[in-house]
Amino acid sequence: MERLDIQQDLIGYLFQDAAIVLLILNQAGLIIDANNYTRRLTGDDLIGKTLADVVLDFTGTINLSGLLQKKDTLQLLNIRSRSGLPQTFYFRFLERGEHILAFGEINSLEIEALRKNLLSVNNELSNLSRELQKTNAELKKLNELKNQFLGMAAHDLRNPIGVILSYSDFLLEEAGDVLKEEHVQFLAIIRKSSEFMLSLLNDLLDVAKIESGRLDLDLESADLAALIRNNAMLNQSLADKKAIRIIFRDDAPLPNILMDRTKIEQVLNNLISNAVKFSPLGTAVEVKISIGAEHVTVSVSDEGQGIPEDERKKLFQPFSRTSVKSTGGEKSTGLGLAIVRKIVLGHGGKIGVDSEVGRGSTFYFTLPLKT
Amino acid sequence: MMNGLISDEIYNAYLQALLAGERAQCVELVNRLLERRIPLYDLYVNLFQRAMYQVGELWEFNRISVAVEHLATAITEGLLTLVYPLIFAAEHIGKKAVISCVASEYHQLGGKMAADFFELNGWDSYFLGANTPAEELLKLLQDKKPDLLGLSLSIYFNMDSLHRVLEQVRGSFPELPVLVGGQAFRWGGRDIAEKYPVVTYLPTLIDLESFIQKG
Repeated sequence: MERLDIQQDLIGYLFQDAAIVLLILNQAGLIIDANNYTRRLTGDDLIGKTLADVVLDFTGTINLSGLLQKKDTLQLLNIRSRSGLPQTFYFRFLERGEHILAFGEINSLEIEALRKNLLSVNNELSNLSRELQKTNAELKKLNELKNQFLGMAAHDLRNPIGVILSYSDFLLEEAGDVLKEEHVQFLAIIRKSSEFMLSLLNDLLDVAKIESGRLDLDLESADLAALIRNNAMLNQSLADKKAIRIIFRDDAPLPNILMDRTKIEQVLNNLISNAVKFSPLGTAVEVKISIGAEHVTVSVSDEGQGIPEDERKKLFQPFSRTSVKSTGGEKSTGLGLAIVRKIVLGHGGKIGVDSEVGRGSTFYFTLPLKT
Repeated sequence: MMNGLISDEIYNAYLQALLAGERAQCVELVNRLLERRIPLYDLYVNLFQRAMYQVGELWEFNRISVAVEHLATAITEGLLTLVYPLIFAAEHIGKKAVISCVASEYHQLGGKMAADFFELNGWDSYFLGANTPAEELLKLLQDKKPDLLGLSLSIYFNMDSLHRVLEQVRGSFPELPVLVGGQAFRWGGRDIAEKYPVVTYLPTLIDLESFIQKG
């Protein structure tokens, strides 16, 4: 085979098949020919374009004469590729008569190192994800066990505490006259403590049920205003001890709403009794209903101490305590608002609080207007 | 051919998506099978393993580049995470296995699938992953005190590295049963158990499943 033929074959290969960037430019810097690979890479036939149309020039300093001055060294240039991802090539520029040849090659060693590192990163990430999911599953199981234990303990303790409560009640009523005053006081303490323990156990049972996904809502169409009226009345006797007025104005007509009546009563009782618990003597607690397009909002406002902003976020977390003290020495289990929140969320509603220190707080919840 | 819920049509669609690097399409296919409650054993053996064996062959026969093979591996690793909530929910039986690749071995998918098989069968499996230095492995063995060690080898050239690790494990934990397996053994080294009495060679995930179930 003649030397010329071999050269022709090589040129044919470079233009047809070789995976290198090959451009021929004229002295004016216009591309007059490009091989197939470069056309495929850029998605353009490139004829008549300039180098600036092919190369990403981030700094605005790349120009043909500058590249030609450094023509004996490999120059790193980024090509605009069809995919949008820049591709880096190592270029060499050659001047031949009126033409400039530009060859761009990939550094396969660099690519190999990159691929190896990417592989390691991917391996590590997927292993961490496996580890995380395994730990999550274990924590979930542990949480279920905790809830089971909590439920069992609370359930089994409820009966004996109930007995203590009823017998102390009985003794106070029946034997109050024959007991010394000091002993009556002891009995009163026993009754008060067992009452608190019973409410704590009931709350714990609720938490255990809700946490293990057993918030069974028995939905029925109910009159929300009537529930509020009833609850306000029940709490008024407690409020009377502090000369607090519970005000509820239900002027606007309200359609019946789909809800679990007992659970919403629990929500109302918690919010109204909390308001009474934290209100100063002689103030008012106001309950309001407002109807929106899709929701009804119930709000309970007090004229209490208000809750500092940094403490409001944790209010609805179990066992959260704030710096706000009850005004009559009443105790809290720290679970009520967490339970209330779960019940409201279970109904597809929202719950929140607005508060201003020194002015009071407004707790509100919404329920979807489904009848 | 039909392997449980995986028809040839599903398998081929999956393989094509995998080779084309279409991660989202692979995710969709696997999610659809999970919705149909495919047994995880089928999913691992008849989809993930079968496809990756074929990807490996295509690479060995120079039909696809190593980049495509790596992408297919990375996608498959990602797909395993779809299954984890089911795998890790299995009741545990109180047995522990440590599964690892040896130093310089970057192919970890087979080992990870083996580790998942232990989880599926109620074992606790600790997976150390690719390119694990021997010291790190020995430290974890000391820490976790497993009932079994599994070592996965994909590249035959890493066989010496495996033997070195086995020597070190034998020095510190002479009684610890060791399972070895992986694609590297297609090219030789299957007589490894003759040199190390505590070692068992298991050629496939199916053999591993029978081994675990025999207890």
